[in-house]
Amino acid sequence: MHRLGDTAIAAVTVAALCSGAWLLHDGAERHAPPQPSAAEARAGGTDPHSAPALPPSPPDRVRIPSIGVDAPLTGLRLTPGGSLEAPPATRKNLAGWYEAGTTPGETGTAVVAGHVDNADGPAVFYALGALKKGARIEVDRLDGSTALFTVDAVEVYRAGDFPDAKVYGAAPRPELRVITCGGGYSRDTGYQGNVVVFAHLTGSR
Amino acid sequence: MRRTARLLAGTALAVTAVSGPVATAYAGQSGGLEVYPSAAVPGDRVTVGTSACGPEGTAAGDASAVGAGRFTLAPTTHDGDVVGEFRVPPSAQPGTYEIVAECAEGGRRVSGDLVVSPTATHQRVPPRGSVKTGVGGALGPDPVQTAAGVAALAVAAAGGTWLLHRRARGDVF
Repeated sequence: MHRLGDTAIAAVTVAALCSGAWLLHDGAERHAPPQPSAAEARAGGTDPHSAPALPPSPPDRVRIPSIGVDAPLTGLRLTPGGSLEAPPATRKNLAGWYEAGTTPGETGTAVVAGHVDNADGPAVFYALGALKKGARIEVDRLDGSTALFTVDAVEVYRAGDFPDAKVYGAAPRPELRVITCGGGYSRDTGYQGNVVVFAHLTGSR
Repeated sequence: MRRTARLLAGTALAVTAVSGPVATAYAGQSGGLEVYPSAAVPGDRVTVGTSACGPEGTAAGDASAVGAGRFTLAPTTHDGDVVGEFRVPPSAQPGTYEIVAECAEGGRRVSGDLVVSPTATHQRVPPRGSVKTGVGGALGPDPVQTAAGVAALAVAAAGGTWLLHRRARGDVF
């Protein structure tokens, strides 16, 4: 009887030792978020195919099927310094949009931002840097329509050299920017900049 | 024997806790009333929506605080949202007003704020600079996994100690 118990305890001990070692090893080795390659950079000229603008309507959800994003959107404002605030970091699967700006689908540049990670690990836009040109971004809007955007470019910009006009500047057609942190990480200063996805409206439903 | 059973049960619990899912479920959007734009000028059209009334529901909206009276919120194609709109009267005074909606079913009440300013302050100011959207939490050690690993090693240590103890007593292993 003792023998059976001992064997079971020995087995559990070995299993616990192995899983403990693996958990500690694997837990210490999480990976940096993917960064876009040069091939995803903006090419000269703009894609001529653009869908007609939609009337203004606030968005309530963003989906990027190719990287598994499906998240609600909260309204974002500006910080006192004039930069875009980030959505609350405690909720991993939450993105935001700049609510004093263009609504996604109307003419102009709409801005969506979300966290690449929070203190617990990867967050809603962790995989944004892996997005490719031509990928689809869908934004559900409160008027019941869904704005469909196509990715034109995925770029990385350093915080100290951020091209405001390129990213936030007015556009003559409906465009979308999706922003998260990226561009390398240092323990002292955090992420060095932002991954920015450029997209324009190519349809709606 | 009883001791063995107790130890085994404890170990099983520890192992379950260690291997259990670490996923945090997404809690869903809370049921406030979204007001867009939340800052308007007299004459603006304002859209409000909520997910508090369920997918099939409707709601009675009340913007009489700002002088726009009652309106109806109807379901949209988006699951769970009811949406309605009203116009801020040209005579509205600057200030912050509470806009209310009450679900037709269940009578749940949600509200949101509308700020009315005298002139068009919302010429659209674009943001400037980078956005702080990460803290590096994807890079450092995963605290949950580390804790789980430490717990599993503690279980292993307990098991090992107990077995050695038995051997030292001369029991057959």
